[in-house]
Amino acid sequence: MSDDTGGSQTSTTEVGPARAPRQSGRYSPGGSRGWLLGLGVGLALVAAVAASLLPFRSGISRATPALLLVLPVVAAGILGRRIAAVATAMAGAAVYSFAFVPPYDRVSIAEPEDVAALVVFVLVAVVVGTLMAVQTNRRQVAEDRAHQIRILYDRNVELSAERERLREEANRVVLLEHLDRQRSALLRSVSHDLRTPLATIQAVASDLRDDVADPGYPAETRQRLLGLVSDEAERLNRIVANLLSLSRIESGSLLPERQAVAIDELVSDRLDKLRRLFRDLSVVVDLSPGLPLVNADYSQLDQVISNLLENAARHAPPRSTVHIAAEPAGQVVMVTISDEGTGVAPEEREHIFEPFRRGPGSASSGVGLAICKAMVEANGGTISVGESESGGARFDFTVPLHA
Amino acid sequence: MADGHLLIVEDEPAMATVLTEGLAARGYLVRTVSTGSEAIAAAAESRPAVVVLDLGLPDMDGIDVCRQIRAWSEVPIIVLTADGAEDRRVDALDQGADDYVTKPFSMRELLARVRVALRRRPLSGPDEAVLTVGDVVVDVAHHWVSVGGVLVDLTPKEFDLLALLARYPGRVLTHRTILAEVWGPEGLNHTEYLRVYARALRNKLGEDPTRRRLLTEPGVGYRLVDRAERG
Repeated sequence: MSDDTGGSQTSTTEVGPARAPRQSGRYSPGGSRGWLLGLGVGLALVAAVAASLLPFRSGISRATPALLLVLPVVAAGILGRRIAAVATAMAGAAVYSFAFVPPYDRVSIAEPEDVAALVVFVLVAVVVGTLMAVQTNRRQVAEDRAHQIRILYDRNVELSAERERLREEANRVVLLEHLDRQRSALLRSVSHDLRTPLATIQAVASDLRDDVADPGYPAETRQRLLGLVSDEAERLNRIVANLLSLSRIESGSLLPERQAVAIDELVSDRLDKLRRLFRDLSVVVDLSPGLPLVNADYSQLDQVISNLLENAARHAPPRSTVHIAAEPAGQVVMVTISDEGTGVAPEEREHIFEPFRRGPGSASSGVGLAICKAMVEANGGTISVGESESGGARFDFTVPLHA
Repeated sequence: MADGHLLIVEDEPAMATVLTEGLAARGYLVRTVSTGSEAIAAAAESRPAVVVLDLGLPDMDGIDVCRQIRAWSEVPIIVLTADGAEDRRVDALDQGADDYVTKPFSMRELLARVRVALRRRPLSGPDEAVLTVGDVVVDVAHHWVSVGGVLVDLTPKEFDLLALLARYPGRVLTHRTILAEVWGPEGLNHTEYLRVYARALRNKLGEDPTRRRLLTEPGVGYRLVDRAERG
């Protein structure tokens, strides 16, 4: 049986050096201070027992002080180590023989019976004190273990929290990198998109302004070129509108102001504004008669239809047909815009509404369809892409009816 | 299509219209196509005098178009590139393009490049004894240079550099081309030579910083131009 708590302290120290100082105080009962405390309390109790019994020593049995003097030994055993119990037992034996065994006030014993009593006292005191000390020590060791386990457990909890934090940190880094890539992709596509119409505007403007090298355009050509400038300026304007919408979507401030909207009016208005975009194409409009009003934000719905029409115009081969249709379907109106271009490959379909997606060599912004999806959903509808009858792209979206 | 026409390869309809109208109005015969494969077919069948090629095409990379045409044709190719794409420009020049114009550009700039391309000598062409670019005269045979009739003293490398640039007036020569021609293969990675020699050359030519003859094309190369022609 080892009562050395130093061993347990060492193993605790391995777990966490920061905790070692606290333990030297807490685990002192088995240490030198505990031993002194046990001995002090034992001696004090021996003195107290002796003092309180002294006046009655002639009137009481000699067994009474012997029994009562075992108590200080028990106390010393509990508080101190075995050595405190033994020392207290010795002191008790000395006091017993001195004060309570005749002849009184001398450390000598007359009766052999009293010698036997003293030996029994000493043996009983030592055994009881030792048992108490061992018991106390065991409890102490068990407490130490429990404490260590608690520390290890706490430490483990801390470590898993730390691991969790590191994992979150790593996830955040991945996310930030993703955002960063998206942002660069956006910058690239935005600068490309803005530059394309600007290049046309710049070329025409520089050409018409340049008096020195004036080619003397016929009036008709001049008008055509100026028409291009106006178209391209319109296109710039649509790109800027899309970029503003994108920033609203990103900041979560795309709040639709929904009201009753007549889709047929919106479509013919938008087609009129985009008619130059369709000058080499034919547009077939197929709206169910008596189309019910829908509940949507007018300008957002307009932007959705505008983006889808522009997308169709861009992918439609010259002199082909772009279809736009709308019909009621239960609680919604379904709008369909389809072209006769090369269509969207099935594996591309699930990604086509992600921002910055653009077909190979496409001159599109890469954000138009992402904006369509965000706006359709903000207005309580859904959007999907499929294949038109001619194998081109077909976009369907829904808008809830106006109550 | 008759020989001597310009082939324009541009997929943006608006830009294609502007180029077609602008060049046709200056008396050039123009043929316009919108894809790389059409461009290769048109270059093969109609033998254009100059190809104006947009690098961003829907069906294939413009640089590949350049390489494929160059595989069997010496036709000058001017590529149209977006601003900020120096790498693409250098790639295109390495793959056989003769020159480039950066979008957005002015019509006058494009016309100047087309004129240079139309009278250009192939890189492998015969050397001439005396090269004249505006007021700069380089006598290759007798190894002297004059600017505005005044002799200028140049070191041998400065002379080689100027003679190379003067052989291709108005055309951009890439860093690689210049280093390989003037310094040989071991000079290829030393673009800093060019900065040093270009500065020395400008000093000796008595360059006016606002109307330079020796133009730096950032990230790409150098070009020697006739000051008078620049206006």
